[in-house]
Amino acid sequence: MTFVDFLNLLIAALLLAGIYAVMSVGMTVIYGVMKIVNLAHAGFMMMGAYFAYELYQRLHLDPILAALLAFPFFFLVGVAVHWLLVRWLPHSDRPTLQSLLLMFGLWLVLQNIGYLIWGNTDRSILSPRTLALVHLGPIIISSLRLVVFVAAAGCMAVLEIALSRTWFGRSVRALIQNRYAGRIVGVDDEKTARLTFGMGIAFAGVAGALLATLYSFDPDFGRPFLLRAFVIIVLGGLESVSGVALGALILALVETFSILFVPASYQPAISFALLVVVLVVLPGGIAGLWAKRRRLA
Amino acid sequence: MPEPVPAPILELQDLEVSYGAVQVLWGISLSVSKGQVVCIIGPNGAGKTTTLNAIIGVLKPTRGRIILEGQDIAGLPPHQRVQRHIALVPEGRHLWPGMSVEDNLMMGAFPPAFRPRVAHNLEGVYGMFPRLKERRHQLAGTLSGGEQQMCALGRGLMAEPHLLLLDEPSLGLAPILVDEIFQFVAEIVKHGVTILLVAQNIDYALQVSDYGYVMETGHIVLQGASDMLLNNQHVQQAYLGGSIEEPGAYPASQPAQG
Ligand SMILES: Nc1ncnc2c1ncn2[C@@H]1O[C@H](COP(=O)(O)OP(=O)(O)OP(=O)(O)O)[C@@H](O)[C@H]1O
Ligand SMILES: [Mg+2]
Repeated sequence: MTFVDFLNLLIAALLLAGIYAVMSVGMTVIYGVMKIVNLAHAGFMMMGAYFAYELYQRLHLDPILAALLAFPFFFLVGVAVHWLLVRWLPHSDRPTLQSLLLMFGLWLVLQNIGYLIWGNTDRSILSPRTLALVHLGPIIISSLRLVVFVAAAGCMAVLEIALSRTWFGRSVRALIQNRYAGRIVGVDDEKTARLTFGMGIAFAGVAGALLATLYSFDPDFGRPFLLRAFVIIVLGGLESVSGVALGALILALVETFSILFVPASYQPAISFALLVVVLVVLPGGIAGLWAKRRRLA
Repeated sequence: MPEPVPAPILELQDLEVSYGAVQVLWGISLSVSKGQVVCIIGPNGAGKTTTLNAIIGVLKPTRGRIILEGQDIAGLPPHQRVQRHIALVPEGRHLWPGMSVEDNLMMGAFPPAFRPRVAHNLEGVYGMFPRLKERRHQLAGTLSGGEQQMCALGRGLMAEPHLLLLDEPSLGLAPILVDEIFQFVAEIVKHGVTILLVAQNIDYALQVSDYGYVMETGHIVLQGASDMLLNNQHVQQAYLGGSIEEPGAYPASQPAQG
């Protein structure tokens, strides 16, 4: 492998990491605040893909712009779903079977709505940008992937700023780290949970719309990405944006560089293998490693 | 039963609280007068923390009234109670270890109505605890035990409390730090904050407080002016190093004050 090949792979991995981070961070905030493993995340990613598809087909809206519009749209969807369904779940400081079943059921419902409306044919969004390339000397970058990365990185940056600088963000971090402490200083945990759920679903919608520009999709879209999101979350821990970004980068690097060693047909197994390895070797994820080192120091 | 002279800021009437099927408080009545320090003492598991959690609202009483400044707040969620300037410094401190000291303090002024005075109150807290100011950008999880307790006190003060609920502020601290923390408590008292104090360090608690309640297995078994409780035979024997007796051996609900 030449150095240029290596650089090309590295850049490809970095660009992939951006979208991986956006698709995982929504699950992370929802889990952090509500201790719900949102299996329906995959369903909302699928809906995000069709959201961009419909806007592109009907209104010729740029899919990247559609992805940004997906944020407010899916935020409202998330708030509504929370109000209708999620808030009735028993409160708990750990994941409950009820919440798993509810979210799994919701995923199935979303999938079936997808089949009902769009059937099971593969769709894709082909825009003028799809095949355009950027040449930087010997390095070749897909301009679409570059744009998707910029959009994804922008979303992550906005989230990080919102979490660290705003009162809402502080209340989210407070509930994640110590729910009881949040309640005794006057955080309305019901309201924060509702807004957080909206935010998590909004990120699912944005991720789905962005992914739809890169891959073809059907109503089962999201399933392989859900598994990847699990790997990223297990790697990066459930408490921070930077942890998610790190987990996303690691998975993207492993997936991208594995093409050198693993036949393409085994690709889907990579993330699963990584999940098993991490669970066995590093059950606390990277964050756990950090914490251990801090305790030893 | 004697009414304390100044108007009560807080009154509990016949409060009952259960965890699931297990009832823990069996009709607690107590009263805290404005400007006073009132303490609750009693053995482990008596229900002291439960009482404070019911006052702040994270536990819902099954019966009874919680009257704060003349209004029954028993039906309100915690965030609506905190708006009325009650603050809890909880047992075990409950800071956010991954947030900076300053963010921890700021969260003490979370209700929107408190936010305009955050900067001003931060200065006040830093004036009282200069060590927190030095460490304000550090993560709270990296503070020492004494500093964490200061941070928890500071967070409580950020709410400009009319009533401060202090749960075991000296728990787990080295004796020299215990002194320091109680000096801070004394200073807070000087600022005119009304305090309901739960403390294992009964000697201290009764010295710093005006009035005290003794709680055992979810009942108030004894109450009175703190100096009288200090000399009370039951308190002496059960809590202040006298020979320890079965708590139940003493007649329940007997006020020490005539
Ligand atoms: N979350 C809970 N679930 C069930 N029971 C609880 C819970 N918290 C406390 N209890 C029980 O309620 C009783 C009162 O506990 P509480 O913590 O109020 O006592 P305390 O007086 O504060 O004791 P300590 O001096 O040890 O802090 C105890 O019997 C305890 O076991
Ligand atoms: Mg206690």
